[in-house]
Amino acid sequence: METWEIYSLTSVVIFAIGLGGVFLVKHFLRKIIATVIMGGGVFLCFVSFAKRDTLNFPDPVPHALVITGIVVAVTAAAFALSLARRIHKITGEETFEEKE
Amino acid sequence: MELLTDGLLALLTAYLAFRCMLAPKLSKTVFTFFAFGLILALMWIRLGAVDVAIAEAAIASGFMGVLLLDSLRDFSPSYSEFEDNIEQPPNQVAFAKRSLSQWVPAIASGAGLLLFLFIALQAVREVPAGGGLAAFAEAKLPESGAEHPVTAVLLNFRAYDTLLEVAVILMGLLAIFAAGGIRQFRKPSLPPAKDPVLRKAILIFTPLLFLFGAFLLYIGKSGPGGAFQAAVLWGAIGILLHLGGWRIFNALSRRMRRIIIIAGPLFFLLTGFALMARSGTFLAYPPAFAGFLILIIETLAAVSIAAALTAIYAFLTD
Repeated sequence: METWEIYSLTSVVIFAIGLGGVFLVKHFLRKIIATVIMGGGVFLCFVSFAKRDTLNFPDPVPHALVITGIVVAVTAAAFALSLARRIHKITGEETFEEKE
Repeated sequence: MELLTDGLLALLTAYLAFRCMLAPKLSKTVFTFFAFGLILALMWIRLGAVDVAIAEAAIASGFMGVLLLDSLRDFSPSYSEFEDNIEQPPNQVAFAKRSLSQWVPAIASGAGLLLFLFIALQAVREVPAGGGLAAFAEAKLPESGAEHPVTAVLLNFRAYDTLLEVAVILMGLLAIFAAGGIRQFRKPSLPPAKDPVLRKAILIFTPLLFLFGAFLLYIGKSGPGGAFQAAVLWGAIGILLHLGGWRIFNALSRRMRRIIIIAGPLFFLLTGFALMARSGTFLAYPPAFAGFLILIIETLAAVSIAAALTAIYAFLTD
């Protein structure tokens, strides 16, 4: 198995774990981390295919897109964190669950 | 040997992602996330993407980790004003209370996830070999003004993406200001560090980080590095000083802060329009000045991003 094959398959597993986390995990912080993990899976998929298309160097376009993507993902996550903290401060809630 | 390294890294990442979701305590989740980001950075290096590795370790693991750690202050029980909302650590409690009808959705979503996993694995295995854009990038590299292909793509071939990315950071900052309720919900911020050793250490690290950031910025022309990686290191200076009690960002006047944060994207945009007036294409650098223009744009963008990151941190924690 080539390096890129291993990592492209891993990327799917990471994405699925993150997706499961988004649906099944309750706490705000964990949901946010789950989305960041999903993003990590997508980036890994991109970069592993860049490795497959290596000539003298790996395909630089996916690399540039992933660097852009990481920064945007972190900014979005920081915004999500600020929303979560605001919700927590106003209502005291830590999850979206209805209270009995 | 290679197979062993890659396989172990792959297993470790999947395991850490899994632990991250299932760790019983919130603080464990955050620390596992740190580790996850760093292991991911190792994977980028295995894939030959050193730029991405630096960005991942610095931004996605470091900066994000700092924000998450700080959020723990809000959510962890000892700081919570809402004592009855403490997260229940043992998950057996939650399992025992569920009746059969509540298990059905859980099983259904688990089965759905497995199905998704298999379909996605199949899809990834069957991605057709397109050859990618490496050949194009290599052919145009001499005209781009940068010797490193990733920098050439980031700041020349797809400069438009990078411009919008810097704009997205600005948008994120504005959104955080808007969502944070600037004054109303201010909680007493962390007291500045009293520890003299810590303060001294921060002062020693400041010039080192600055130099290292400048090095990464300059080396980006010919090797892995560049504006974002430099920006995060410079942002780290801001955060460290903030933690040590030097509120440099609050000390600046409001107008100055705005100018610093806007300078990068504004110069980028104006350059784009100036070049459009000259040659008719947005952000089409003339090959003779390309290297020089890229260096100026990168420097200003790095300063702006660093200021924006410091502002996000300073605002979220104050």
